[in-house]
Amino acid sequence: MKKLVVICTFLVGFSAFSFTEKDSISAFTFHRLEMMEDFDCDACGCSASGGSMGFSSMLNNNFVGVRYFKQSYTSRDGIFANSPWIDENFNTIQAWARIPVTEKIQISALVPYHFHERQLTAGTQSIEGLGDITIMGLYTIYETQKDSTVFSHKLNIGGGVKLPTGKFKETNNLGTINQSFQLGTGSWDFPLVTEYVIKHNNLGLNTTLNYIIKTENSKNYQYGDQFNYAGTFFYLFDINNFQIVPQAGLAGEVYQTNKQHNLDLPNTAGDILFGKFGVEAGKDRFSIGINAMLPIQQNLSNGNMEANYRWSINLNYTL
Amino acid sequence: MKNTLYRALAIVTLSISLFSCSNDDDNNVSGNGKLILEFDNAYGANDLILNTQGNVTSNNEVLKISLVKYIISNVVLTKADGSTFTYPKSKSYFIADESSAAGREFELTDVPAGDYVKVKFGIGVDKAQWELGAAGQDDFLAQADAAGMMWTWAAGYKFLAFEGTFTSPTVTTATPFMIHTGKTGTDYNYTEVTVDMPTKALVRTTITPEVHLITDLSKIIDGKNKIKLSDNNTNGMGAMIMGGTNLPLITENISAMFRVDHVHND
Repeated sequence: MKKLVVICTFLVGFSAFSFTEKDSISAFTFHRLEMMEDFDCDACGCSASGGSMGFSSMLNNNFVGVRYFKQSYTSRDGIFANSPWIDENFNTIQAWARIPVTEKIQISALVPYHFHERQLTAGTQSIEGLGDITIMGLYTIYETQKDSTVFSHKLNIGGGVKLPTGKFKETNNLGTINQSFQLGTGSWDFPLVTEYVIKHNNLGLNTTLNYIIKTENSKNYQYGDQFNYAGTFFYLFDINNFQIVPQAGLAGEVYQTNKQHNLDLPNTAGDILFGKFGVEAGKDRFSIGINAMLPIQQNLSNGNMEANYRWSINLNYTL
Repeated sequence: MKNTLYRALAIVTLSISLFSCSNDDDNNVSGNGKLILEFDNAYGANDLILNTQGNVTSNNEVLKISLVKYIISNVVLTKADGSTFTYPKSKSYFIADESSAAGREFELTDVPAGDYVKVKFGIGVDKAQWELGAAGQDDFLAQADAAGMMWTWAAGYKFLAFEGTFTSPTVTTATPFMIHTGKTGTDYNYTEVTVDMPTKALVRTTITPEVHLITDLSKIIDGKNKIKLSDNNTNGMGAMIMGGTNLPLITENISAMFRVDHVHND
């Protein structure tokens, strides 16, 4: 925890001194921050992270970004009370871009690269490679136009497809261990997203609801559908075109039971609620952010799996 | 130019979403497949660890188990529609042995494809088989002999061998115990159990289900019938239970020590 604070401070300082380029209008908008810290992941092990991540932005400009995020889990390697608990670490580097098609329609693409490892009793197992690429379209249903209103609102909806570009290996799911130690779900999945943002002066609340429909893959394995929800308060400090946006909120995930050959697999459903907090800093065309998520309440894989923490760091550049 | 690109992207996205929902299920349930019965020995909620793990009974006896073997026989699989498949008797005798990998998984071959929901098996060798005489035993006699699961031919097979050392409030130094079940003068002590599978085992030409059974060894002396090793420790030489009135009680206990934890349809 202390470390995180130190890192945050360091990063804020770093970004303050690094981007000295003067620009009359900052391309950085705090709206954009909200989509970035929402790094919910698929099916515990992030077999296909990003399906629910940050497609529901209000941003209208083009940008590219890169993010690193880490998830730490501890899971039971076996079915007995004395089965050992093992550490599982999921690392992802993600590139993403967002392109407006019209004023109300945007297309977003996300390309994750995973490098995961877990310390099985039999030895450490590592997997690395391209994850599932997601392509989504977003549509702005409503947006407050006047600047003078006390509250401004914005509502986005969207949907898309998650391609089975990440490798799904049956053998990674053998035995009775975390069923999500994979680079991808191996299936065509379909995320549906909504985002609602309400703002008053510099204070805002961002609410997102996502549902990911997952289908059966070629190995007859089907991850359970996933529902994500999040609410995040943010506040914009703007000092001489240098923005700092602290944020805090709650995020939850609910997983349906996985299936194999259309039969329910025991102990694969679950739910988890995180507290999340972070800070973003931006100047000119650059923004940098760091976020952390700590579990408040969880029941994953019938108690056979525990999320410890997640954290992420991202860097974006407005085109 | 740019707009065309975006439109192209949108069309690609849309068409992917529309055409990717095909589902080629292999509902072809014909031919024969295989099925694996895995016997995973446990003591209570814990996985069994030989020799070092102290297992406490409800009578406050602490067991360190060094050997666990039992004969599994006469496997019958029940399909979801209630029909059964009796595994050929000539192939249906197995020796479960905690100390070897080969003694934990038994592969049944030429099993008709189907969705199986129950498995029935015997613990020990049934009387009819034993009555065929030594010549009627095929190579299982030699197998059992090599595994130490025979007394003399006349005395018959050992159905279960459960050995180790124990301590108790009255027996403070580690003392050997041996429990061997089998026929006695009065009881034959062969028993059969039927266990349900929590998930259907889908036997297909392409799928070999693994039925993961847990054998809770605590039930042997600490099940429905409670047997104190200390009471059987004649002259302090060790608790040797290989006959007498305790065997039918232990046999009854054994018939309740199996359950299917899960099924892998891989």
